[in-house]
Amino acid sequence: MTAIDTGPVPLGPTQLRRLRRDYFSSPVSTLISVLCFGLLLSIGWVLFDWGVLRATFAAEARQPECQAAGGACWSVIANRWRLIFFGLYPYEEQWRSALACVAVIVTMVLSCIPVFWTGKRLTAVWALGFLTFYVLMKGGMLGLLLVREEQWGGLALTLFIFVATAIIGMPLAIAFALLRNSTLPWIAKTTGAVIDAVRSLPLISILFTFAIVLPFVLPDFVLQEKLYRVIAGSALFFAAYQAEIIRGGMQGVAKGQDEAAMSLGIPYRHRVARILLPQAFRNALPATINQFVITFMETSLVVIVGFFELLSSANAAFGTSDWTFAFVEVYVFVAFLYFIFVFGLSRYGAYLERRMATGQR
Amino acid sequence: MNVPAISIRGLQKYYGTYHALRSIDLTVKRGERIVVCGPSGSGKSTMIRCINRLEEHDGGTINVLGTELDDNIGNIDEIRREVGMVFQHFNLFPHMTVLENCTLAPMLVRKTPLAEAEALAMRYLEKVRIPDQADKYPGQLSGGQQQRVAIARSLCMKPEILLFDEPTSALDPEMISEVLDVMTSLASEGMTMICVTHEMGFARKVADRVIFMDRGEIVEQGSPEEFFTAPKTDRGAQFLSQVLGH
Ligand SMILES: Nc1ncnc2c1ncn2[C@@H]1O[C@H](COP(=O)(O)OP(=O)(O)OP(=O)(O)O)[C@@H](O)[C@H]1O
Ligand SMILES: [Mg+2]
Repeated sequence: MTAIDTGPVPLGPTQLRRLRRDYFSSPVSTLISVLCFGLLLSIGWVLFDWGVLRATFAAEARQPECQAAGGACWSVIANRWRLIFFGLYPYEEQWRSALACVAVIVTMVLSCIPVFWTGKRLTAVWALGFLTFYVLMKGGMLGLLLVREEQWGGLALTLFIFVATAIIGMPLAIAFALLRNSTLPWIAKTTGAVIDAVRSLPLISILFTFAIVLPFVLPDFVLQEKLYRVIAGSALFFAAYQAEIIRGGMQGVAKGQDEAAMSLGIPYRHRVARILLPQAFRNALPATINQFVITFMETSLVVIVGFFELLSSANAAFGTSDWTFAFVEVYVFVAFLYFIFVFGLSRYGAYLERRMATGQR
Repeated sequence: MNVPAISIRGLQKYYGTYHALRSIDLTVKRGERIVVCGPSGSGKSTMIRCINRLEEHDGGTINVLGTELDDNIGNIDEIRREVGMVFQHFNLFPHMTVLENCTLAPMLVRKTPLAEAEALAMRYLEKVRIPDQADKYPGQLSGGQQQRVAIARSLCMKPEILLFDEPTSALDPEMISEVLDVMTSLASEGMTMICVTHEMGFARKVADRVIFMDRGEIVEQGSPEEFFTAPKTDRGAQFLSQVLGH
């Protein structure tokens, strides 16, 4: 397309031609491409040299050996990974926490597969996932040792808080969004006030209120366990933001859609479930994925009400005098765990967008 | 069978303080084909949208097939099941295939089993002459095809009455006739129809009665012959000269 292309185009594999078009179409772009490529290469080399070539992997190695090698000291992970994954969960019982993690991940993955997107199937998956997680983690039945919620921690806790927040928060968000669009003004106004109130508070203050203040207000039998109160608070916070995202998506659905469905005699609940929400979610997909990512990151805030989630377990992992020097490696490792999750989520978002695009022209 | 299809008495509609419909009286017999015309803003859409409660009326009574249209949700649902509507902008569901558009309401509302609903849908898609598009999405069809799907979708509910609100005015000229042909064949099969349209040729061919509205009132009505050749009112004559004038 550019001046350089005027000569006869040598026929090569498509990839080669595309490469030329995208990166080497003019002298300036060639220069920029080469510079960027060189920069990437050198950064990559430095990281590879530090993280692999000169790194120490042996579990027996300590500070002297690591520093002699001069690279990353992955020995800290080899020694402390159990703390990072399971927190203060009793050492002998940590296989249960590992299985519980698997249960949460399976629940999460199944919920992402369109085949399961019917009310009954989702409810079944969630109920089963939660039950498995709860029995495994808490025990006190089936011959399993009782492990109280205060002892839960690490990756298992982070995953559980996130998934529970999403599973409770999403239906709540849909309800909020629908109520805010209600034709009855007092319902719409009240819901709007609740949403705005929650959104005007920082998450920390909501967690604090639910964890510390609420027990003084509520009778004993309601949400006794602090963990569940914290999840309730975090779900409420998620719902307030997600409700506005969904409402925004709903505004992008033409009014004629609902009118057409009404004229066919389709009752309200089906109009919402089959016409309004699928289109609203399609419009709101990028923002929704974003909200999930933020929520996952924000689970680390539960540390302020005394929970020992992934990030604070990681802090503890280099908290002994043996390992204080290796905090970078621990953070890199935890960052990698977060990255796997967030990257997976964004790929999933891209998949959904592609899947939904088949419906459009 | 003596009950009229639609019986409207003293219908009033306000938008805020704006008086959109001023005491409309209209009786439609079963099998009757009515064309409604009139200048923009005269209340044609508002009137037919009151019949299936897309707009709530503020005064008067509407009785559809013997059922009174009031705040009773059961009555509204019953009427909507029997009254289909075709819109200017088609309003197909973009996230569903043509076939799914057609089977949705029968399955949800009439509890028709899937296989039966699909067979029904294919029958009506054949009737509107696009059975080969069943697996496409609305966005992949031309305007004329979309409007024919919309008609098939309405027909799948087997309605007694069909309302059309300017079904061809969003279409390119070369697609208008394919939609009008479908409407004409429906009319010849005895469907009760109320069509808001400015297609005078269609009105002459199929309408039993033409209703002329202006400023929220029915100004005159009569057979197409009467209205088009010798309108009784000045407003009617003026409207015709504008529509036919260019
Ligand atoms: N939702 C609404 N809110 C306020 N005013 C409205 C609303 N809908 C219609 N109107 C007004 O009511 C009057 C009648 O509108 P209507 O849509 O019935 O006209 P119409 O005869 O169908 O016109 P057109 O040929 O342009 O479709 C118009 O003056 C319009 O501005
Ligand atoms: Mg109109």
